[in-house]
Amino acid sequence: MTLIFIGGILLQHSAAAAAQSENEQASGDHVKLSWLAPDAFSRTQASRMGVYFEVDPGWHVYWRNPGDSGAAPRFEFESQDADVGQALWPAPSRLPIEHLTNLGYPGNVAYLFDVTPRADAQQLEIKLDIEWLVCKVDCIPGFGQMALQRPVKDGPSSWSRATQARVEQFVAQLPKQTPAQLSAISDRVRADYSSGQLHLSFPAAAPQLRTLFPLQGNFVNAAQPLKEPRDGKQTFVFKTLPGAQPPSDLDFIAADQNGDYWQLNNVPLRSAASVAQSPELKKSHELKKSPELSKPPRLSYSAVFLLLSAVLGGIVLNLMPCVFPVLSIKVMHLCDNHGSSARRLGQALAYSAGVITTFAALGIIFLLLRASGAAVGWGFQLQSPLVVLALIMLFWLMGLSFLGMLSFGDRLMQWAAQVRSGSSFLMGMLAVFVAAPCTGPFMGAALGATVVLSPILAMAIFICLGVGLALPYLLLAALPGLVNRLPAPGQWMETLRQFFAFPMFATAIWLSAVLSKLVGPQVWWLISSLMLLTAFALWGNGLSNQFARKSVLGFSVAAVAVLLVTQPLAERGEPTEQSDGWQEFSQRQVERSQALGRAVFIDFTAAWCITCQVNKQLVLNTDAANELFQRNNILRLRADWTRYDKKITEALSQFGRNSVPLYVYYPAGGGAAEILPQILTLQTLRETIAADSHHLSFQSEGFLP
Amino acid sequence: MNIPKFLVKTAFAASLAFSAQVWAVATPGQAAPDFNTLDAAGKTHKLDQYKGKWVVLEWFNEGCPFVKKHYGSHNMQELQKKYTEQGVTWLTVISSAEGKQGYVTSATAEGVAKKHDLSASAPFLLDPTGVMGKAYGAKTTPHMYIINPEGTVVYAGAIDDNSSANPAVIPESKNYVVAALDQAMAGKPVKTAATQPYGCSVKY
Repeated sequence: MTLIFIGGILLQHSAAAAAQSENEQASGDHVKLSWLAPDAFSRTQASRMGVYFEVDPGWHVYWRNPGDSGAAPRFEFESQDADVGQALWPAPSRLPIEHLTNLGYPGNVAYLFDVTPRADAQQLEIKLDIEWLVCKVDCIPGFGQMALQRPVKDGPSSWSRATQARVEQFVAQLPKQTPAQLSAISDRVRADYSSGQLHLSFPAAAPQLRTLFPLQGNFVNAAQPLKEPRDGKQTFVFKTLPGAQPPSDLDFIAADQNGDYWQLNNVPLRSAASVAQSPELKKSHELKKSPELSKPPRLSYSAVFLLLSAVLGGIVLNLMPCVFPVLSIKVMHLCDNHGSSARRLGQALAYSAGVITTFAALGIIFLLLRASGAAVGWGFQLQSPLVVLALIMLFWLMGLSFLGMLSFGDRLMQWAAQVRSGSSFLMGMLAVFVAAPCTGPFMGAALGATVVLSPILAMAIFICLGVGLALPYLLLAALPGLVNRLPAPGQWMETLRQFFAFPMFATAIWLSAVLSKLVGPQVWWLISSLMLLTAFALWGNGLSNQFARKSVLGFSVAAVAVLLVTQPLAERGEPTEQSDGWQEFSQRQVERSQALGRAVFIDFTAAWCITCQVNKQLVLNTDAANELFQRNNILRLRADWTRYDKKITEALSQFGRNSVPLYVYYPAGGGAAEILPQILTLQTLRETIAADSHHLSFQSEGFLP
Repeated sequence: MNIPKFLVKTAFAASLAFSAQVWAVATPGQAAPDFNTLDAAGKTHKLDQYKGKWVVLEWFNEGCPFVKKHYGSHNMQELQKKYTEQGVTWLTVISSAEGKQGYVTSATAEGVAKKHDLSASAPFLLDPTGVMGKAYGAKTTPHMYIINPEGTVVYAGAIDDNSSANPAVIPESKNYVVAALDQAMAGKPVKTAATQPYGCSVKY
């Protein structure tokens, strides 16, 4: 009897369901919609149900903040019998769509809603008006209506197992209320804003986060933020919408390393304007809202921070391998300046002036190019074959002069004397030309900021870098004790000077290697011929026979001219060959690997960047690193910036940089990219990869597609 | 000493030789990026020839549902008429590359303009290489920019605050471009100078 009764209800029910199934679904191009609803709603509790989007492979629908393009779906419910809550949005993925980043779902998704029946409802009827946008590259909007009729019962709502499992799958992707772990630190999360960048930093106690998604699109850019570990703290750097007015606070969804998502609401934003905003200013709120067009940029905390890092970066640069070629010049300088302390200080000042002037001059060129719309990066001076050739000849001549080759002739002798006694200004220039192109610690961020900062602030950064580079030398020269420790001037100084010719020649060899990378290996002919001719001319200049002297000089000048005309320095370097395990950098490779959940390591390098070469030899190209990369199935990409390359310049600017070295690690499973320090060690590499081991192991077990 | 001068000169000359590629994007409060673009009739349009005039730039793609929303409803054309009558220069730009959705040739562009009853100041500006679009950082169709007579960007972003593709929502939407133009042309500061653009991606 009971069985028959239940059977009767079931029959009735399924007949009704069949009749309703027509309008219980909706569909459009590339997408099918259905309810994920219980068979019967609970009278007393809210039931969490879903609207399920099944999309064709490659197509996607959007999160509440759709990102750079696209649109979130819109739901309009109508029901006499129930209250339907706001849409609950499962956490999205970043979907790179050509030049844009969208926030949405790469596959099927259910948007969730809490439904509470009204007190007296026996039967529940819900109507939904829905609009969506489904995109691959092209977008197709869809509109539809869906209806739902279900009984209301006492006790908990009853579900079919499959439907409930599907709802739970997406409930797991909902951001959770701020957890204890985060809420304890949430008021210490700091959002700092200046010149197009938003820095969101977490205190050391915060759990390791994979990435963050901005809840609103009107200020923070959707693109993947950059993760910068800074003294144990996690800092995420977002780009912001150009010219957008900063809001007072921001909301994010945070993704942790365990695949959970957390709400991070009302993070107060400190901007250059709000830091300076005193109580009186708050009254004139309207005034602040108007775009501050002509006002000079205020010095924000972050600007001061950038200037300080520039000075610090300049100082640290003195310790980087990049400086090796000019190190000998400096050492000699210190020994050479045995004169009065005033003279020593004068020379140190001249050196500093050379450094700072050159930094400023390069800065002006850089800014002029920027203003004319060209995309250049720092280090552009060594990407030019002519400059490199000039430097080779200069180092060659200096080497010869140290050996005493320039001690003949009158005009040349004067010049040589200046060089020997240390034309300090020239030395300062050389130091910048040769050493500054590669970035040391603290320097990258400061240099990178020059791209977006106002010209005045950018110039200030260049000058601060120069001050930093010159500072240790200046202090050393000013130290009274130093000169007393040196042996008395004598023959040893002449010997030392001669010895220092050889580092000069070594530098010329290194620069020749750079030049041959720039314009092709056949350039050796030009370089060595020029060396021969200049040496020949120097010898000729010392001849006592007037006629012979003029002939040699005339011949040399003519031959140099012929050489330079017939051997133009056209950039036609061969494609950079990649050693085993490394592939040439391309943005598409990065995106593809990211989509597949594979980790990526990028080595931004250049032949003229000695720091890069040192890291390559000591870390990246070692067997240990090789094994580490292979074991974790990490894609290795090398971006060689020896020659100017638009794509690499653009890629660097994505990371707020315009200089090398830059090491970037994209974790498996699509988290935020992480920047590694410029002085790379195997230990850092190991730790970075170990921090990502959760996803890497998932990947190797095949959990990720 | 001549050598330093020589080096600086060389560096400057060499670095000027780098291929020019525009970097910054149009940002409210800053000078608008220059452009030099042919329209469908073969006429060149440069930013500096519009010094002293208000300029509206609008990115267009005939296949994009959001463009259809504003053209099918005549919303866009009415704005074009209203403001060109007030002396505003309204330029509608197509940055779709050859082979991508929305690409038009100079031969077909005038037909597309006629079909859409385009009421801008010129037939479509054709930017198939994307140089102008990328200079402005145009992300979507429609992406809108307003440039003041001094050549400064005063607005960049969406046309209105409703990202629905349904034209029915237009009457109740807040039109950012209208608000910004009316405020700016009346000499008032623009309240909302930058918004998140919505629509289809520009098909570079």
